[in-house]
Amino acid sequence: MTALAPIPSTAPFSAAEIGLLNSVVARSSPEQRAWLSGFLAGLSAGTPAAQAAPLAPPRKRTPLTILYASESGNAESLALAARKSAAKLGFDARVLDMAEADPAALQKAGRLLVFAATWGEGDPPQRAADFYTALMAGDAPRLDGLHFSVLALGDSAYVNFCETGRRIDARLAELGGVRVAERIDLDLDFAKAAAAWTTATLETLRPAEDAASTVVHVNFHADAEPAGETAPAFSAESPLEAEITELVNLSGTGSSRETWHVELRTDAPGFTYQPGDAIAVIPENDPELVAAVIEAARVTPDAGLLAHLETSADITTLSRPLAERYGRIAGREDVARLAADAASFQAFAADRQLLDLFKTYPATLMGSDLRELLRPLPHRLYSVASSAAAHEGETHLLVGAVRWHAHGLDRKGVASTFLADRRRKGDSLKLFVKPNRHFRLPADPARPVVMIGAGTGVALRGFVAEREAMGATGHNWLVFGERNFTHDFLYQLEWQEHLASGTLARLDVAFSRDQPEKIYVQHRLWQHRDQLLGWIGDGAHIYVCGDEKGMARDVDDTLARILAEQAKGDAEAGRAALKALAKAGRYQRDVY
Amino acid sequence: MTDKRARNEHIKEASRQLRGTIAEGLADQATGAIAEDDQQLVKFHGTYLQDDRDLRGERARKKLEKAYSFMIRVRIPGGVVTPAQWLALDAIAGNYANGTLRLTTRQTFQFHGVIKSNMRATMQAIDAALLDTIAACGDVNRNVLATSNPHLSPAHESALELARSLSTHLLPRTGAYREIWLDGERIAGPDGEAAGEEEPLYGRHYLPRKFKTVVAVPPDNDVDIFAHDLGFIAIVENGEVCGWNVTVGGGMGMTHGEPDTFPRTADVMGFCTPSQAVDVAEKVLTVQRDWGNREIRKRARLKYTIEDRGLDAFRAEVERRLGYALSPPRAFDFARTGDHLGWQKGPDGRFHLGLFVENGRIADRPGHGLRTAMREIAEIHKGELICTANQNVIVAGVSARAKKRIDAILAANGILVATSSGLRRNSMACVALPTCGLALAESERYLPSLVTRLEALLDRHGLREDEIVIRMTGCPNGCARPYLAEIGLVGRGPGTYNLYLGAAFDGSRLSKLHAEDVHEAEIVSLLDPLFGRYALERTDGERFGDFVIRAGVVAPTLSGRTFHDDIRLAGRR
Ligand code: SRM
Ligand SMILES: Cc1cc2nc3c(=O)[nH]c(=O)nc-3n(C[C@H](O)[C@H](O)[C@H](O)COP(=O)(O)OP(=O)(O)OC[C@H]3O[C@@H](n4cnc5c(N)ncnc54)[C@H](O)[C@@H]3O)c2cc1C
Ligand SMILES: Cc1cc2nc3c(=O)[nH]c(=O)nc-3n(C[C@H](O)[C@H](O)[C@H](O)COP(=O)(O)O)c2cc1C
Ligand code: SF4
Repeated sequence: MTALAPIPSTAPFSAAEIGLLNSVVARSSPEQRAWLSGFLAGLSAGTPAAQAAPLAPPRKRTPLTILYASESGNAESLALAARKSAAKLGFDARVLDMAEADPAALQKAGRLLVFAATWGEGDPPQRAADFYTALMAGDAPRLDGLHFSVLALGDSAYVNFCETGRRIDARLAELGGVRVAERIDLDLDFAKAAAAWTTATLETLRPAEDAASTVVHVNFHADAEPAGETAPAFSAESPLEAEITELVNLSGTGSSRETWHVELRTDAPGFTYQPGDAIAVIPENDPELVAAVIEAARVTPDAGLLAHLETSADITTLSRPLAERYGRIAGREDVARLAADAASFQAFAADRQLLDLFKTYPATLMGSDLRELLRPLPHRLYSVASSAAAHEGETHLLVGAVRWHAHGLDRKGVASTFLADRRRKGDSLKLFVKPNRHFRLPADPARPVVMIGAGTGVALRGFVAEREAMGATGHNWLVFGERNFTHDFLYQLEWQEHLASGTLARLDVAFSRDQPEKIYVQHRLWQHRDQLLGWIGDGAHIYVCGDEKGMARDVDDTLARILAEQAKGDAEAGRAALKALAKAGRYQRDVY
Repeated sequence: MTDKRARNEHIKEASRQLRGTIAEGLADQATGAIAEDDQQLVKFHGTYLQDDRDLRGERARKKLEKAYSFMIRVRIPGGVVTPAQWLALDAIAGNYANGTLRLTTRQTFQFHGVIKSNMRATMQAIDAALLDTIAACGDVNRNVLATSNPHLSPAHESALELARSLSTHLLPRTGAYREIWLDGERIAGPDGEAAGEEEPLYGRHYLPRKFKTVVAVPPDNDVDIFAHDLGFIAIVENGEVCGWNVTVGGGMGMTHGEPDTFPRTADVMGFCTPSQAVDVAEKVLTVQRDWGNREIRKRARLKYTIEDRGLDAFRAEVERRLGYALSPPRAFDFARTGDHLGWQKGPDGRFHLGLFVENGRIADRPGHGLRTAMREIAEIHKGELICTANQNVIVAGVSARAKKRIDAILAANGILVATSSGLRRNSMACVALPTCGLALAESERYLPSLVTRLEALLDRHGLREDEIVIRMTGCPNGCARPYLAEIGLVGRGPGTYNLYLGAAFDGSRLSKLHAEDVHEAEIVSLLDPLFGRYALERTDGERFGDFVIRAGVVAPTLSGRTFHDDIRLAGRR
């Protein structure tokens, strides 16, 4: 008997788990393996374990490729859900992350479902950028005969709503694909509509002869698929109500910032997270703003409406779809015209909110009109700033309060100021975990780690705490940036302790406003590039956390520049080297 | 035998001539502080580690260390800078410090709030302005004062020249300053006995304590000559300095509740010729180096050496080292302390503006753009700018045309040349909170409002224009020389002060404690009747400080060692 191929190291398990699985699987008999496969498949298909489906005779099934482009995991989880449904319908379905795919792979796919999120300002998620560029390029492969349909995820608050999905949809058709179902563009409240669309579209894609099959097929040869890290016990629908046990503005008096350290009691059974995950916080609106909106909309409020506006409706975002609806409901031609023209709407909406629309174009609304007009209040994500291993039963967040002034009004970020202004120690906060398997410490604790975070990006504290708690032997280097040393050195005392204990081997700081010339984290990276290359040479993983436009982009460029310098000034080689690091999971980013 | 020397002596000894681990400390980005021993050493380099005491309460909760920053003191003998230097210092204040310049009671500038990461850049900018901060603090000869404004007479000019020569001659020679702050190049520095060779004058241990030198030209005692370790009083014949009276053993600092510490007015030790002056200074300094108390820092100043050994013995040792005797002191007569404020025409026909700077703080405040005004003046000014020993500034050497422009600049920025009351013009407060680590009470931030309240009393008694010297410090160290003020207020705790009265207007006699632990209401109610009596009962030209003694309010303090005697406290209300 030939030695059984072990579970590949790429399997979605930890190294330790893979070892355990291999030790069982390697010694198992063919019968045992067959039983196990049927059992496990039945388990994920929801079949009671006791009635594990017997092995069905092999038959040819319709292949289906489910391709996703995701940053924070929404599109990914929709794709995984679609795979399950597809499997039930008898498809030989495989899920493909655009990050690991090439457009050529679609040529023989036959049937394709795409789940694509939009990021940045109408950009693809960062890890999908290469695929996206290749697909849009003039030399993209023809995809004649490919049956496809696209689900686009986005946020109507952005000007380029669902741009990535739209463009992929158009491009697939251009390359000869056959659109079997119309694209759907979904806002942040996508869950129900996405499930319905998936079911309907799968039906459309299914060949008639497959319709009767209910057999569960297990395909051991499928590509390693990303699994959801564990079915979450808490979700948007049933969030954890966590007690706030500490709430302190870390920014010193005299700071131009307001950065809140939030500690939450999250010892509820089933609540787990890993450093790198995000916490989705379900905020409430400012009652004063609710009152102002009600007044501006000239609505006669009732308790139900008030509660709805406070807890469930987005009463700040001013999007084009909303303006269209308002024009219709209010019967205002001028608003309709405004919403119809992208440029003039953009000019109006750039630094305005819903309240400004009501004030500029007043109309008297019914309570029901208002309800119809507003989309659900979206949750906000905050990177975990703690380690469950180091901070038992707790979850920490680092939240920058968002405040600005525009058109005569003081404006406040909904979730951040809900925490800063209206939550106190002892209050509760609704939340759930948003896992991010693309922002993970190396499985090998001996690997060195370089962490680059500016502002709230120093939620990387969770990584440092985890490495300490795990007794990781690899060196840790933190590069931190903010505005002023004296007032904005977030977690300063903790870094000092970590340096003293050796948990941090190195700390570099960049304070942009302490001196006439601006110094940012990327300048420190460049300054210490020799050391950085040394660390990379030693196998370091690089993590970047924080603001995308204000930091991560420049850090990315600088890393590429540093790698290019190492490649004797070859800019392309530098870029390629950085990409290779990303592909190897050694360059990961949690940016927003 | 156990080594009873004070801790600072060991730090100096081990410092490899003031190097310590300062450079390593500067490189540590995680903290705004430096090592404890290095905090003593950087003083010799003209800088102190401080923290913002207003913020202490909140820092730990915010997971922040204390709000550390450095105070930097420039060395400017005689206080004279060029307009270009002023502009450079002003730029430093904006770029690296807290946006203000602080004129001190010893004729120089301080920067506050310079964070560690900016220290080198700041020191280099000071260097680029052809200035330095060497020995501005520490157990060495500090910045040397000279009666303000060399343009007033040849004797004034000689005073400035002497101040400069003394400062240069008594400078430490260690290369540490240049290495640490300017070149960034680290040289190990000599260790052990070899270290002394780098400092022929100071050796490995420098002085037991700070050492302060001043030069005065009567009748002005603007430098408060009796408050300093070493002083030179110009003796003028035919318009030229024919020699100097030498004073030794003055000082202000004392400690509450420790009567063997006290302020002391200097003694006049003798007379020397102009060519002997620098040598005399060196010998006074070396005798203090060898005789000063190195076990008890609180008793290490020259004033205690002279108290303990006696003036005669001290003089004899100085003369022994000089190889000649000093002549007996010549007659001199001081008329006043403080500065000449307002426009003054000099002998060469040029004008000089003495500008009152409340407590020395050059800042822009709403309606009072002093920093801007001074910058604009520096931009057009052709003469010099002079820091006085009373926290004021003189715009010196102004032509009649430029005078108009300067007046216009001041007016445009809301600065009045003729300022308020005689009391305010003669007021000084030390820095104290929030930067001074030793402050027990507010001073700079508080005195202006107290003076406003007192002005109301003065108005009632018709004393608004009378010059009365009032000085406040946040602790008994006496940085604003409060024991030489007619009204002295010395911090005891938050909001409470000791009230001293009876110093001489010319700076020759110390004051006496009048009331203990008084707060504002008590200060006001104690002074109100005294002002009233002064207005009615004073003799022609009698000063407030003399009046309170004649009226029996306080006993006169005729020497430092009797400062704590004869105290008759005013009854607490
Ligand atoms: C800035 C200044 C007061 C001002 O408002 O102008 C000042 C400020 C300080 N003095 Fe002073 N002294 C200042 C003139 C004086 C004077 C007045 C004088 O020399 O004419 C005295 C009294 C004279 C004397 O030396 O006896 C003075 C006696 C002290 C003492 C007590 C010394 C003693 O031997 O008793 C201390 C404490 C110490 O040295 O331990 C001190 C210590 C300090 C320190 C550095 C506090 C410290 O040691 O941590 C203060 C810094 C406060 C800050 O935040 O800036 N300062 N200090 C003056 C700077 C002068 C300069 O440019 O060099
Ligand atoms: C994966 C991920 C991780 C994140 N991690 C963190 C974290 O660890 N810490 C953290 O603080 N945040 C984090 N964020 C951001 C966070 O989710 C919220 O976006 C942020 O807190 C703002 O939410 P809010 O409800 O307070 O503001 P909102 O009510 O959502 O308002 C924000 C919006 O207001 C507008 N706006 C803001 N400022 C101005 C201005 N000056 N002028 C005009 N318009 C303006 C913009 O349209 C902006 O999008 C993360 C985001 C993501 C996606
Ligand atoms: C920083 C950021 C930028 C975004 N930019 C856009 C955008 O330009 N257009 C859009 O429609 N949605 C935008 N979105 C919304 C995301 O597409 C939406 O949250 C989606 O559900 C994310 O899917 P994912 O979790 O699969 O990445 C943005 C979201 C974030 C956090
Ligand atoms: S007198 Fe005291 S409080 Fe004032 S500056 Fe000097 S040391 Fe500080």
